[in-house]
Amino acid sequence: MILQIMLLCGLVIFAGLAILAKDLLKAALSLAVASLFLGIIFFRLSAPYAGVFEISVVAGLITVLFALTIALTRKDGEVKEARLVKIAFPLFFILFLIIDGLVMKSLLQKVPSLPAGPEGGTFGEVLWKQRTFDLVAQIGVILAGVLAVLALFRKKEEDKDE
Amino acid sequence: MVFSFIVIPLLIAAFMPLIGKFSKKLIPDLLTNAALAFLLFNSLLLIKPIFNQGSIIQNIHWLGEKVNLQIALDGFNLFMLFTISLVSLAISLFSIDYLEHYGHKANFYALLLVMIAGMNGLVLVPDLFSIYLFLEVAAVASYALVAFGLGYDELEASFKYLMLSAVASAFTLLSITIIFGMTGSLSFQAVSQGLQDLSARYVIGVCMAFFIMGFGLKAALVPFHAWLPDAHPSAPAPISAMLSGLLIKVSGIYALFRIVYSVIGMSPVLSQVLMALGTISMVVAALLACGQKDIKRMLAYSSISQVGYIVLGLAVGTPLGIAGGLFHLFNHAVAKGLLFLNSGSIQHITGTRNLEELGGLGKRVPLTAGTNLVGSLSIAGVPPLAGFWSKLIIIMALIQAKQFGYALIAILASILTLWYYLLIQRKAFFGQINEKWLNIKEAPFWMSAANVILALVCILVGIFYSPVFKAWISPAAEALARGIQQVMMWGI
Repeated sequence: MILQIMLLCGLVIFAGLAILAKDLLKAALSLAVASLFLGIIFFRLSAPYAGVFEISVVAGLITVLFALTIALTRKDGEVKEARLVKIAFPLFFILFLIIDGLVMKSLLQKVPSLPAGPEGGTFGEVLWKQRTFDLVAQIGVILAGVLAVLALFRKKEEDKDE
Repeated sequence: MVFSFIVIPLLIAAFMPLIGKFSKKLIPDLLTNAALAFLLFNSLLLIKPIFNQGSIIQNIHWLGEKVNLQIALDGFNLFMLFTISLVSLAISLFSIDYLEHYGHKANFYALLLVMIAGMNGLVLVPDLFSIYLFLEVAAVASYALVAFGLGYDELEASFKYLMLSAVASAFTLLSITIIFGMTGSLSFQAVSQGLQDLSARYVIGVCMAFFIMGFGLKAALVPFHAWLPDAHPSAPAPISAMLSGLLIKVSGIYALFRIVYSVIGMSPVLSQVLMALGTISMVVAALLACGQKDIKRMLAYSSISQVGYIVLGLAVGTPLGIAGGLFHLFNHAVAKGLLFLNSGSIQHITGTRNLEELGGLGKRVPLTAGTNLVGSLSIAGVPPLAGFWSKLIIIMALIQAKQFGYALIAILASILTLWYYLLIQRKAFFGQINEKWLNIKEAPFWMSAANVILALVCILVGIFYSPVFKAWISPAAEALARGIQQVMMWGI
């Protein structure tokens, strides 16, 4: 129980740091540590596949991509934030944690435990046989992302000459 | 056949960047419009089977083995599919000429098709998690489309939209997770059955609150509307039409009410909450629209206001209210699509959207002025146009349900709507012509053609409202109402 609370606290602290850190690299690393905590929590909650994906993709691959992008971009693009935002976000965050703690504790006791539902089976069975439609949608999401990158990082005057 | 609504746009979108290398305009134009015309035709072909069978459930077989790709089609989905196909075809016709000055048509069409595939998928799936996934497909494409112009305003609006939309998706996913945790299932039918067997009304109440927050943000209901007046005007006109006409309705209203009616069940308290939200949106956004000088910004506020009407109608919960809400959804999709396209025509003709700079355009561009008038009067609810009947049915349903206060507010908000639409008409098209606009010409052929098609739909649906309502809207409303009977009424 204590370990669980420590893991959750670590997750929240590093996730908060990822938003609050001014240095982009530090923010990206905080995000990686946060997802590492999340991955460990997934393992402890008997979801090893989710844990593996979280650690390998989010904590690993995406962090590398972030670090590379930050290294390739110039330094002079610093954005100044309004003072109100600096104060408002931590205040809102603390308020949210208090409300969350008060409400969810009483609520969690009322959530019935997960029954052995009809959608059980091994990871492969669930992914390929039961949730096939999700794969179509995921192809759609990836396609949308690729097309968005193509559209937003295009050369401006490329095809006006036809 | 039903799968084509998802597969065809996705496939064409996947090849579009490649096609764009060979032909920058002609083939992308042709292919996109042909695909959307096919989808419209397909949705018309499905009417008969739906009438005969009530609903269709299709499974796909791959190499003789059943793959778990299940799609459920009833009157409500088909109604939404038809609306999406009709409006998106008009929008893509408009884009043929409008996108000339943006360039990069292949990229644009590819994103547009992915967005349409996402919306069609969202409408067709009978599963909570799949709804979330298709919601994201449409949303990711729409972020890029809002920023398509790559200007400062576009990028800022797109970022704001992205952030708030991510918050909306997080709330929706959280709620879906809690429901999965309780029932161990995600399909509508199994979840609805599972929730009936459990006594967890407080938790369901919290889930519903998260759904309202999530889908309310997507539908831009007041107080979750902050992103819309920035995002919709910043996007290119066809995308504004797509977002205001279709996306907020599919990913906001359709998803919310499908879950309310087919999974969780409507209760008196929930009905009151949704009606209150609808009414607040209707009034606040109408008041905010009055003070706008940018046409597209005014139209964006008007969208929030009209979404309020739709929510009010659907939340009454009576068959007449649901039918009125759906009818208004269709009418608003067509008329608002038309008005946003028209605003694109005005910008194309004059180079500005500022109402203070315009004036007297009607004499030079009668077609744009005429179609704008039809769209405005339809949304404002002037007889005999389509919008009049849907608003009348919503108000009648409110009176029938003894919600006299809401009915009165709906009538007053309608008058306000008429006022600000006449303001656009008067400032842009009537009065003395500004010297700057003496040499302007009517919008190019395809832009005008798309406007005329949508204006004709507004007029024809208004004139033939009775057969349209009986043959088209009522089966959709009945399909939704059947959902109410299937699920238990929770005393939330």
